[in-house]
Amino acid sequence: MKLKTRWANFKDWIALPGGFGIFSGLTMLVIIIILGIIIPNFGPYNSDDFVGEPFAGPSLKHPFGLDQLGRDLMTRTFSSVGVDLGVAFLGVSLPLVIGTVIGIVLGLAKNKYVLSLVGSLIDGINAFPLLIIAVAMLTFLGSGLKSIVIILAITNWARYARISRTRAVIVSKQNYIEAAKTLGYSKKRIILKHMTPNVSSETVAYALSDFILVIIIISGLSFLGLGAQPPTAEWGSMIADGRAFLTESAGLILFPGLALCWSAVALSFIVEGISRRDRGI
Amino acid sequence: MSINPLVSIKDLKIEVRVTRAKRLSIVDSASFEIESGKIIGLIGESGSGKTMLCRSLVGTLDRRGAYIAAGQLIFDGIDLIAAKQSVWNEIRGKRIGYVPQSALAGPNPVMTIGAQLAEAILQDENFPKSDVEKRSLELLNIVQIRRPETVLKQYQHELSGGMKQRVMIACAIAQQPELIVADEPTTGLDVTVQAEIMELLKQIRKDFNTSIILVSHDLPLINEICDDIVVMHAGTTVEKIPSKLIKTSKHPYTIALYNSRIDLVEPKGQLKTINGQPPSVGNWPAGCRFSERCDFVKDKCRVKQDLPLIEIGSNHQTSCLRYDEIAR
Amino acid sequence: MPYLMKSQALRILIGRLGRALSVSFWVMVISFAIMRIIPGDPASARLGAGAEMEAIEELRKTLNLNGSIFSQFTNYVMGLLQGDLGTSLQTGRTVIDIVSSTLPLTLYLIIFSTFFALLLSIPISTSIAWYAKAPIVYVFRSVTAVILATPNFFIAMIGILIFTVRVNWAPVFGYDPQFPQNLKYLWLPILVNTLIMTSVISRVLFSSVTETKEEEFVETGIIRGVGRRRFFWFYILKPSMAPTVVLLSYMMGTMLGATVILETIFSLPGIGRELVNAVLTSDYPMVQGILLIFGVITVFLSFTGDVIAYLLDRRVKI
Ligand SMILES: Nc1ncnc2c1ncn2[C@@H]1O[C@H](COP(=O)(O)OP(=O)(O)OP(=O)(O)O)[C@@H](O)[C@H]1O
Ligand SMILES: [Mg+2]
Repeated sequence: MKLKTRWANFKDWIALPGGFGIFSGLTMLVIIIILGIIIPNFGPYNSDDFVGEPFAGPSLKHPFGLDQLGRDLMTRTFSSVGVDLGVAFLGVSLPLVIGTVIGIVLGLAKNKYVLSLVGSLIDGINAFPLLIIAVAMLTFLGSGLKSIVIILAITNWARYARISRTRAVIVSKQNYIEAAKTLGYSKKRIILKHMTPNVSSETVAYALSDFILVIIIISGLSFLGLGAQPPTAEWGSMIADGRAFLTESAGLILFPGLALCWSAVALSFIVEGISRRDRGI
Repeated sequence: MSINPLVSIKDLKIEVRVTRAKRLSIVDSASFEIESGKIIGLIGESGSGKTMLCRSLVGTLDRRGAYIAAGQLIFDGIDLIAAKQSVWNEIRGKRIGYVPQSALAGPNPVMTIGAQLAEAILQDENFPKSDVEKRSLELLNIVQIRRPETVLKQYQHELSGGMKQRVMIACAIAQQPELIVADEPTTGLDVTVQAEIMELLKQIRKDFNTSIILVSHDLPLINEICDDIVVMHAGTTVEKIPSKLIKTSKHPYTIALYNSRIDLVEPKGQLKTINGQPPSVGNWPAGCRFSERCDFVKDKCRVKQDLPLIEIGSNHQTSCLRYDEIAR
Repeated sequence: MPYLMKSQALRILIGRLGRALSVSFWVMVISFAIMRIIPGDPASARLGAGAEMEAIEELRKTLNLNGSIFSQFTNYVMGLLQGDLGTSLQTGRTVIDIVSSTLPLTLYLIIFSTFFALLLSIPISTSIAWYAKAPIVYVFRSVTAVILATPNFFIAMIGILIFTVRVNWAPVFGYDPQFPQNLKYLWLPILVNTLIMTSVISRVLFSSVTETKEEEFVETGIIRGVGRRRFFWFYILKPSMAPTVVLLSYMMGTMLGATVILETIFSLPGIGRELVNAVLTSDYPMVQGILLIFGVITVFLSFTGDVIAYLLDRRVKI
């Protein structure tokens, strides 16, 4: 009985605009995360172990085959899940927090000089294509995933700050904030209780779509050899390694590439579903 | 009833596709006629189907997923329901001019006013290109726009609401159509501008002998310039009455509409509002659709039945079952 | 009055130009700062632990790292004003020289892809949006979403698998700058870029046409009896174009960034590959110079995009 109503509720929820997109995106994401936990940790192989002939084709023991050094491709493909999604998570959440806070402060700030200075800095950083400024900064920080996270934190916040500032200015002019002010609520309370939830709903929504972009940037930088370093299994660098052996085995690029697409597509279905739900179409 | 009206609408029924299987009727049983050179006021509350009715006259129902399900719609002997694209090409903009409901959003934002007027003027393929500007200025003069030379070069966002409305009227009369459909041409404008636009429409009728369908919420406003008033409620025409006789109306809804604004002529007139909300599309009561809001309702009004317009005087038709008992 | 109007449009455009110049200034500041905000001395980092004091000092001088920050910045700006972006540490050629010999190829790549993408997206998205048949819209949205979620290097690799490994139609090594021969090397990267850009542009155009077609003035146009071609241009495309142009100018900047990857894959001698080489060899002046060029181009692109959008549609706030 209870189960039945749950099922009915679920069906109603799916039928709403974007419901199917959100559901299929979430399912795809959960599947790859579970595989990314199970296969590297509880599977028979280690991602860096040489377990057979290089370029061995798919078999029962090695469903994806072996790579150019004889490592199990399936284990490597799925141990990248944690690397890519984990680094991307950091690369999104750090700028999200930094940018949202700076944006709110700017939205409330009164000092004209500070406002125009930080505002120009934000415009200046945003003027560069993200990939370009990341590549350039890697020159000075040195390659590696850690550098990428640092770089994303110090460059990508500007995009969040722009959104957050705009929103904060709008919110601070809204009636209930004015009312709270006249009621004598403390500034801290107004910011924490009213401003932050309102502003962050906007920046979090952007973060979700930014997640896709950041995954692509991380794997792209690794593809260029500037991100994950061997022997770390990471989709971008696996594809870069596979590039030299296209004639021997297409699987070297296809499996990591498809896994990468799968994750990004899952996220993009979720993003699109949510935006359709918001707009109600 | 005249022998040869310009437009004749009979039992028109307009439906909209909600989903594949589900149809909703938005207008059913609308009937009235328009004679040459007359101004007809089409009046009713929001949602009563006025705009849909107007759109059926210019053949743009399908854009909104709506279509004519039954009835008759004849313009100067042409059956508009069966009209093909080639027929519409001869009618739209040439024989029927249209002033859209949200005239404020009516002008194209990416064309200058001059370009839009030229477009309307050049619907007549034989019109000499060299005279377009002269004709544009002439049209702007007719609609009493000041400094027409400047306005020609402007975009719509540079004009005031009243000016936009005048421009839309200028475009509509460019080909001297026999019929102008003006869907709430004064909504959103301030009172003095409203009166000016009304005056302008009257003048146009006088100068060009154009028939006009004038849609409005505001019965007292349009009553004096119209010849006849057609009242719509919940997708049906409930009364057709010569405007001079409006005070002898035999339908409680018309009476309520007339009283729902402070009458400027009679200072003692009371402001009344109409009871309740108009019934929403798809939830129309059986029997008289005004029955739930009517002060004069009797049990017989609620019986499921069709309520045709009954001729009760010269050019005066009503659908009220109790018309003979209604007296103010 | 017309005089006044003209000056209003002019004022808006000049205001936008002012903003572009001020952002350019900040782009310059950031390119200057990038070498200096990171902890440690770039000169000794490049030369390694065993380097001689004199060599480090020499390099610091070339890199303009001596003196106060303020005087360093003045030097930098004075250099820029004379067209001096520094000298490559690796090759000894001037940065401006390398940029001007590699930038054109990158620009061709972008311009051609943009052109083809526009050519494809306009008919695709306007017709899908206008007729709005639910299943087609669904397929359209899903396919473009998938393409956008796919990194360009993976799309390129699939292209190579098909066109280079199976049939040797698109060589991945070498490049011939002569006109007809270069197409052999360029068509696949252009195709990859076009595919991505088409997805972006057609999605935006799709949603703006969907919005436009509901507007009252479109109905007015139909009722006025406007002819088909005129209607398509003035009532559908032009009013929907502004957001697309703004996005397009922004996307061209992003695509400029993405060519870094494409040029590396297809070993094309463009500015993107030059940047990657410079990063791998710690060629600081090159990195700095190319960063500045990319920034300025992007600022200029988005300025142009905004201006075109404004000229197309005066409702646009720029
Ligand atoms: N595409 C559609 N699908 C479903 N219902 C619709 C559609 N278009 C209009 N309607 C409904 O049809 C009814 C009549 O609409 P119409 O625009 O003709 O009203 P109106 O009398 O012009 O009102 P107003 O005074 O507000 O302009 C409304 O209730 C509206 O909700
Ligand atoms: Mg209406």
